[in-house]
Amino acid sequence: MSEDRGERGGRRPRGRKPRRKVCSFCVDKIEFIDYKDINRLRRFTNERGKIVPRRMSGNCAKHQRQLAESVKRARIVALLPYTID
Amino acid sequence: MNKYELMYILDPALEGNERKELIDRFTKLLVDNGATIDKADEWGKRRLAYPINFKNEGYYVLINFTAGPDVPREIERNLRISDQVMRSMVVKLEDKHTSVKPRPVVVRQTPVFVQPAPAAPIVEEIPAAAAPVEEKAPPSEESPAPVEAKQEAPAVEPALTEPSEV
Repeated sequence: MSEDRGERGGRRPRGRKPRRKVCSFCVDKIEFIDYKDINRLRRFTNERGKIVPRRMSGNCAKHQRQLAESVKRARIVALLPYTID
Repeated sequence: MNKYELMYILDPALEGNERKELIDRFTKLLVDNGATIDKADEWGKRRLAYPINFKNEGYYVLINFTAGPDVPREIERNLRISDQVMRSMVVKLEDKHTSVKPRPVVVRQTPVFVQPAPAAPIVEEIPAAAAPVEEKAPPSEESPAPVEAKQEAPAVEPALTEPSEV
């Protein structure tokens, strides 16, 4: 009992489960994020149409930059909304 | 010479010939400026993500072309003048971006559990002898991992109870 508790406390000091997310674009081996690929882009916008931050999506910096660019392009040609309310 | 991608949205009120002429005009303008059309695609009428000029629909046209660096400015200027064009955008495609539309149907790699195999042969022998006892045992085992054990469930339950019987 006491051993178990000590071990757990040491592993996660703040009580949150640290789950390392993996960049989904790296996983799918996508070099170039297409602004026309709305279904994929939509997964990275929240219900208000905002681009989901990296700490939520788990994307790597490189792909997050590309993603943001693509979402903005998609917004220009009305494939994605600027805002939903 | 660079690769570009042009997307523009036409007024959905335009129909048939009128629309076709307009599209041909822009395509011709590209060619006249020394561009080569790699691909021309008409998506047709689509719902817009947000209304533009109080219209909820638009006729999408997508054109991939290769041209010098001055062409995009010229075509953009012309598109902007035309009233029938609701939106337009020219995007440069980088070299490494050759796979413009990757979108492969991503098959998620599901790890395959091949554990239940050895337990399988034993299963058939048990039911006759130990059927009543088993029915009580399985629920407690299943509850912790209901989804994962979908494949294993039929094979493992009897196997685990079996040793106690023998």
